Amino acid sequence: MSKDPYRAIDAWITGVIDETPAIKTFVVKPEIPLKFRTGQFIQFTLYGEGEAPFTPSSSHFEAEKFEVTIMRAGRVTEKIHKLKQGDVIGIRGPLGNGYPLEEFEGKEILILGGGVGMAPLRSLLLTLLAEKEKYKKISLLYGSKTPDDIVYKSQFDNWRKKGAEIFQSVDKCETGEWKGKIGVVTCLFEDIKPNAEKGVAIVCGPPIMMKFGTLKLLELGYSPDRIYLSMEKNMSCGIGKCGHCALGKYFVCKDGPVFKYSEIKDIEGIWD
Amino acid sequence: MKFLKKENFEAFAKKISRENDIFYPEQTNGSYRWKKNEGESFSLEGHRTVLPMKYFFFPPGENLKEKERKPAVIFGARGCDLRGLALLKKIYLEEPEDIYFRKDILIFSADCTSAHKDCFCAALGDEPWAEEGFDLNFSFARDGYIVEAGSDKGSEILKNNSGLFEDASNARKREILEVRQKTKETVLKQNGGKNIKPAVIAEKIEKNTDVLAKYAEDCVSCGACTNVCPACFCFFLSEGENNKIRYSDSCQYPGYARVAGGANPRKEMTPRFKHRFLCKFFYRPAMQEIKGCTGCGRCIDGCQGGINFMDVLADIAGAAE
Ligand code: SF4
Ligand code: SF4
Ligand code: FES
Repeated sequence: MSKDPYRAIDAWITGVIDETPAIKTFVVKPEIPLKFRTGQFIQFTLYGEGEAPFTPSSSHFEAEKFEVTIMRAGRVTEKIHKLKQGDVIGIRGPLGNGYPLEEFEGKEILILGGGVGMAPLRSLLLTLLAEKEKYKKISLLYGSKTPDDIVYKSQFDNWRKKGAEIFQSVDKCETGEWKGKIGVVTCLFEDIKPNAEKGVAIVCGPPIMMKFGTLKLLELGYSPDRIYLSMEKNMSCGIGKCGHCALGKYFVCKDGPVFKYSEIKDIEGIWD
Repeated sequence: MKFLKKENFEAFAKKISRENDIFYPEQTNGSYRWKKNEGESFSLEGHRTVLPMKYFFFPPGENLKEKERKPAVIFGARGCDLRGLALLKKIYLEEPEDIYFRKDILIFSADCTSAHKDCFCAALGDEPWAEEGFDLNFSFARDGYIVEAGSDKGSEILKNNSGLFEDASNARKREILEVRQKTKETVLKQNGGKNIKPAVIAEKIEKNTDVLAKYAEDCVSCGACTNVCPACFCFFLSEGENNKIRYSDSCQYPGYARVAGGANPRKEMTPRFKHRFLCKFFYRPAMQEIKGCTGCGRCIDGCQGGINFMDVLADIAGAAE
């Protein structure tokens, strides 16, 4: 019998990191190393309870263990948040296409992220930084609602040291502790002028941020085939059969989750 | 092509039943339902069943585990069932393969000799008989069947039962055309001679949201249409004993596309209703190279909102550019 694409393999939780009150990162060790490409996703199975799709947030050069950053948003994620070190879960994957790194080589890379959308982007960033000589420049623009909602807070300095240029904003800050930019993430473009001709841009975040981020990038001169979006859709099978993740003629789980804006721009309601 | 005398049909079916479960369309009150054969004699005449053939291949609520069972032979599958199956196979058997989609089923299709009042295959450019995808196909000659093999397995079965079959004469081969033509005319006639071009539908859906919105008002999101459709494949996975359970699902249910964060691209009825048409006439032809509608009319028969799918298509096709 050939391989059963519905059956999860066992994996162990080897660490839990609190990121924000609603977001945790889980360190997962699968029984067989997970050789994924950054941007691909997995189905995270709670045996007997259900599954939910997540993109690993760690570098794809590490297969023995990987990390997933998960926001509490529904029935399954509520239960996932109760997991502790040593608990057994299931995983299916890697699934989907992932980021086409070969298309990024030799270019200036601009990463635009918002909120928990930083999870797949962290994987991308770490993967890019591991081979940074291949890319001309790596910049990250990251926005979150408030300073308390920033994920991976303690890691930004480290990424800077490794060679990434990083700009951050928060939508609002009532305590006054935030010394940086205040406003939605696109306000960061008031200060930096990316080289759209020589660059590619990668966007991931809440739908509204993806929409305005993309529009801004177009305005800055990025052509639609140089803007890469990680699309979030309802998923069940993760292998292009159940129809749930339909985005126009595509199945996001199989043809995505990463799409060039040029591929999907004419589909109705892509930001909904 | 071979000829099977009417009186030899039962002997043939008996022989097949030794190693296979046989299913066939049983007529009750003018409609046809799949029935497992328990040795009774049966006929291949008539038209498509109420429920599609697809559930033999992926039964709803199936716990995904290896099963001990006899292989099956489906007698009397219709052209629409096979056109639907062709799409289902592309979806389910494409890498990574769904290993639970049954592969131990042989199909002995039969030409339609009558039509359900909602059948519109011929108005959509399809035929009320199977052109491919069968192991054997049975067509009707005056005193028996003309049997055509459509696969290696089918040819082998003919060879192994050569005692029951004889060569088909040209005269007999011509007889089957009469039956085919008569059924086709019935279908065309009950659809007012309409000739709907799927490619035209594909082009015009997007510009005719208002036409769809008008029909969508009557939809109650029950999902009957997609559940009875031989070409609809959607499902959702749930945790079951030892592996997942695959339940049938419908793009017409309000929560179908909702993500955990609450966003739902097709929360409103019209986008959902439109999605079904786009899927069948635009997305599947673009990606799987097969349209997702076979013209079987089951969704018309099953609709709780009284929506006539064929009328919707005719309105879209007839709408101004
Ligand atoms: S859409 Fe309706 S007419 Fe077309 S194949 Fe499905 S059930 Fe039959
Ligand atoms: S059968 Fe009719 S009412 Fe039910 S979901 Fe389909 S179109 Fe809507
Ligand atoms: S999640 Fe099933 S088709 Fe994409």
